[in-house]
Amino acid sequence: MVGGTCIKFGDNINTDVIIPGRYLVSIDPVELAEHAFEPLGEDVQTRLRKSQVVVAGYNFGCGSAREQAASCLIGAGIQAVVAKSFARVFFRNSINTGLLAIQCAEAVDAIEDGGEVWIDPQRGIVTSGNRQFAFEPYPENIRRILDAGGLLSYVSKYVLAARR
Amino acid sequence: MNLIEKILARASGRKSVSPGDVVVANVDTLLLHDLSGYLTARVFENEVKRPMRYPDRVVMVFDHHFSPPSEERAQMLEENRAFARRHGIHLFDCGSGNIHHVGVRHGFVRPGTIVVGSDSHTPVHGTLGCFAAGLGNNSHAAMVMPFGKAWFRVPETIQIKLYGSQRPGVVPRDVALWLTGQIGEGGAVYKALHFDGTFIKNLDVWDRWLFPLITIDVGGKCGFIEPDEKTIDFVRRITDRHFDVVHSDEGTDYAEVREYDISELEPQVAASPTLGNVKPVCEFVGKPIQWAELGGHGGGRLEDIRQAAEILKGRRIDPRVKFNIVPSSRQVFAEALREGLVDILFEAGCTWFPPSTGSNQAINMGAMADTEAMISTHARNFPGRNGSPKAMMYLGSAYTVAASALNGQITDPRQYLV
Repeated sequence: MVGGTCIKFGDNINTDVIIPGRYLVSIDPVELAEHAFEPLGEDVQTRLRKSQVVVAGYNFGCGSAREQAASCLIGAGIQAVVAKSFARVFFRNSINTGLLAIQCAEAVDAIEDGGEVWIDPQRGIVTSGNRQFAFEPYPENIRRILDAGGLLSYVSKYVLAARR
Repeated sequence: MNLIEKILARASGRKSVSPGDVVVANVDTLLLHDLSGYLTARVFENEVKRPMRYPDRVVMVFDHHFSPPSEERAQMLEENRAFARRHGIHLFDCGSGNIHHVGVRHGFVRPGTIVVGSDSHTPVHGTLGCFAAGLGNNSHAAMVMPFGKAWFRVPETIQIKLYGSQRPGVVPRDVALWLTGQIGEGGAVYKALHFDGTFIKNLDVWDRWLFPLITIDVGGKCGFIEPDEKTIDFVRRITDRHFDVVHSDEGTDYAEVREYDISELEPQVAASPTLGNVKPVCEFVGKPIQWAELGGHGGGRLEDIRQAAEILKGRRIDPRVKFNIVPSSRQVFAEALREGLVDILFEAGCTWFPPSTGSNQAINMGAMADTEAMISTHARNFPGRNGSPKAMMYLGSAYTVAASALNGQITDPRQYLV
């Protein structure tokens, strides 16, 4: 079970909003987190750092393929993103960096900005207050990448280990 | 199976694949630019620490920097060069052109192959009948570089059929901008887009290019055009390297078919904040602009430069406007020179920039103050990509960009085309 306080956004949040291009020379999640959501102002940034879950509408993470859009959220202490839908590169980058990306439109509608959200990835349930919403759990091969903490650790743990 | 499914099946050693399958496939080409390549290189050397399996398949292009603007950036490029030398990958240094154009013009993109890259517009290579998708750094560093492979979920396919013929003054870029709005940002999330129909078939390769280019901005995974004689001639003229053309089977199923008649279209403009904010040019006429550019991932093709020259020949742009022309490759600049276009646009008051990806993300040109606005042939108009988040970016055809530069405000180009 992961979760906590959430910060909620609308539809089509693009990668230039999540992490502006000028900070892309860094791959350190903590350094990147200082600039996460910078275009939306300091209030949003302060709230982000106090949140554990990002909630968003349709097509979260659209735009550029930058992996830092996922890793900057990890650096900011975010454990999961619950959205109505994801841009596919963001979804892929989340898995590869070990960030839970959950698609569950009903939950998003029910969750209030600043409220508490809990996610059970094994059972496929999002809990908000006393309401529960089901989502499709990840297929086995994707779940193994996430469980390993991302693609880098997955490859060294399983692929390379199997060759030895 | 369609072309995408056949390519993924062949590259993953399977007889067939279906949408939803997750496959591990052999990758033919990895395209990196100076920004993402730097990050991928660091992850590969510091965390993966394995040999580069197929250095001949890895291409790095310095396109966001045609020349480093600071010591920090110069250092970054030096580290990229050292990385390229250590591993024996292909390097195209500052001044070579835009990553995707360089990839195509040097024969790294061939029909039937798998092309990946960390630039999100990588799906553009579906123009030549490839499976092409944008991935993140870790995919490249952890799998493509050490093993020559990547994981993919086989996408469902939407057929986009375009038919009809354009009105005078309306060009394929207007159709592509309009189509982005029709499909909608996020209108094709995770899908493959098959661009088809008589309109697409009649276009030449560099005009077809504008359609798979929009794939990412409607949320798609990859886009493609069925290869035909034009495609094969185009690639054959560039490279002697072997390729196996893959065609979709007759009568394949689509998750969805969408048809569009483009006959009534007017020139289009997409204004910040998003590409979905696209309307006929008449709705923006009179909006002031101080900057104009042919460049970015979308622009700087010879076709764009010809259109601008057609409007600007014998005219002068507004003295308050700075019109920057950025050829997408060295070949484009050479062709523009031979056709006399360099002189025509210079005399009109334009400034020629080195082949590169122009002011995309304003890495070494094209930043704006919060009171400024630009009209360009870029692929994106998100706030903050060119300096201040308050600065406006309008996207239009090269005709519309040139006509607007003449007047210092957004202008319907058709009055100059009679």
